[in-house]
Amino acid sequence: MRLQHKTTLFYLIVSIPLVGIAAFVSYYVIRAELKNGTEEVLRTELHSAKKIIRTFGHPQSIRISSDGLSKIQLVENALPMEHIKDTLIFDPIEKENVEYTILRSNFRFKNQLFQIDLYKNNMDSEELLEGLWAGFGILIAFLFSGFLFVNWFISKTIWKPFFATIHRLEKYDLKQHDSFKLEQVSTYEFNQLNTVVNTMTNKIQNDFIQHKEFTENASHEMQTPLAVIKANLSILMQAPSLSEVEMNAIESIENTIKKLSALNRTLLLLTKIDNQQFTEVETLDLSKLCSSVLENYADLINSRDIKLELNLEHSLQVTMNGTLAEILISNLIQNAIRHNLNNGEIFISTTRNSLILSNTGNPLTMPSVELFLRFRKSVVNNESIGLGLSLVKSITEKNGFSISHSYSSHFHTFTLTI
Amino acid sequence: MKILLIEDETELRNSIEQYLKLEGFLIESVADFTDASYKLADYNYDCILVDITLPNGNGLDLIRQVKKSQSKVGIIIISAKNSIDDKINGLDLGADDYLPKPFSLAELNSRIKALIRRNNFSGNTTLLLNEIAIIPEERLVKINDEKVLLTAKEFDLLLFFVMNKNRVVSKNTIAEHLWGDDSDQMDSHDFIYVHLRNLKKKLAEKGCKDYIQNIYGIGYNFNLEA
Repeated sequence: MRLQHKTTLFYLIVSIPLVGIAAFVSYYVIRAELKNGTEEVLRTELHSAKKIIRTFGHPQSIRISSDGLSKIQLVENALPMEHIKDTLIFDPIEKENVEYTILRSNFRFKNQLFQIDLYKNNMDSEELLEGLWAGFGILIAFLFSGFLFVNWFISKTIWKPFFATIHRLEKYDLKQHDSFKLEQVSTYEFNQLNTVVNTMTNKIQNDFIQHKEFTENASHEMQTPLAVIKANLSILMQAPSLSEVEMNAIESIENTIKKLSALNRTLLLLTKIDNQQFTEVETLDLSKLCSSVLENYADLINSRDIKLELNLEHSLQVTMNGTLAEILISNLIQNAIRHNLNNGEIFISTTRNSLILSNTGNPLTMPSVELFLRFRKSVVNNESIGLGLSLVKSITEKNGFSISHSYSSHFHTFTLTI
Repeated sequence: MKILLIEDETELRNSIEQYLKLEGFLIESVADFTDASYKLADYNYDCILVDITLPNGNGLDLIRQVKKSQSKVGIIIISAKNSIDDKINGLDLGADDYLPKPFSLAELNSRIKALIRRNNFSGNTTLLLNEIAIIPEERLVKINDEKVLLTAKEFDLLLFFVMNKNRVVSKNTIAEHLWGDDSDQMDSHDFIYVHLRNLKKKLAEKGCKDYIQNIYGIGYNFNLEA
């Protein structure tokens, strides 16, 4: 629910009972006033009636009003008094009970007792009530449209900086290096918001940069100790009479170091890609690149008796960093070889906007999407460090390409779409 | 052949020194920028191995300094930062080679030798080992004066063995030398076995002795002393 709808609703929730109470109170106040008015009128009439009696002095009864109810009559055995009361009288024309106010006064004049009854109907006040309710209804309608207008106006003008901030935040990308700064605005609260957001994004940005630098530094720092181990191992290997056990141990250490340095190098590369350190771009043909990269792997493909089938006639032009393009293609091809079967097959083909690599292989032991996550690898192949495809993913994403995987009838197919 | 090694990590400095001494190089080593700067001002070297990040200074500045006074010196950058920028800067300043850590000593050795060979003999040199003659710049191999036709990989393999003669080189080191980072995640044995077998066969056909010893598990030794 929008803020302006909410405030309008709250205004209504509060204002409807308030207006109701106001209407109720107004009704009684006005009614009391009317009653006073009625009584005043009756007393004025009483005064006139007494005047009539004094002037004419007739003992007979007199009708003194058009409604036929007010009258003067002679009475006996009564005390002089005066009182006002309300009563209901059936009106044969309207066919309903009508409320009347009656003023009765016993008035002694020349030893005669006159009883004066004055009637005044209160029909007006009931109509007033109806009018009141209608009036308040119109008032609520006006208030409501007023609220709506004011809210609309507020959101158009006063809330403008707020929506501007939201818009900027929506577009905010941590990985883009331009510093994020929201402008000063005239509203105090929004200014406060912008200041807080600025401080927060700066902190996040700094943390992010530090984190990236840490990863990069950590990988760098690891290279030297690795170099020390590797160097010492080279020396150890030269020892003249190594036993079989010792040689096995050396080999195992060597292989482990190789894996560790590959891991380290790949992590560093991933960090560098994330840090956008490969900014230079060129236009190159992925079909040609495939052919040249494949030359490096020809021996390996032969040694595993893998049948290679190429369909690279279509040129596939892309604009991207040359190093990354090579890493991308190398990793896809390496993947196709590593996870292949002996005597397997590899098909590589290009279309106008895609590169398709298929290779024979065992089905995945995990969902297809997880394939591109870091350190996900099939249990079967222990040589893999599990970063090759995440590297592929990272490079494709950075360049706005997409990569997908599918498996059917013993073939893994990777489709790179430009 | 005089080499100056500039490396701040003691362990690595010691191992490199030890290995290169075995190869017959005269090697001096320093651990920081200041010492290196003095050494370079006072003495001439055939080759310097320089780390980029050093205590009290940057290795690139040392390259600038040395290029002013000793233009013929060969320079190899050994750096933990495998950064393209450093590499380009270094090579622009006049460094001859860039070897990212971690490297194998056999690789370092073969690069130093190739560099010295290029610098001192203007490329026209024949390596003679008993019945084998190799002219690296022409990529030519002769056994008893008879040409052997080798593929590119076989030639590189033989040259690498010769550069590291009488040393045990591991299969991983060979694979790395021949295929670079591509060999990272593969079983090195797969990479080299076929080439090694063919090389051995071609050399034997021309009457070359089988110098390539298989060192169980680890790798090979091109052993001329046996």
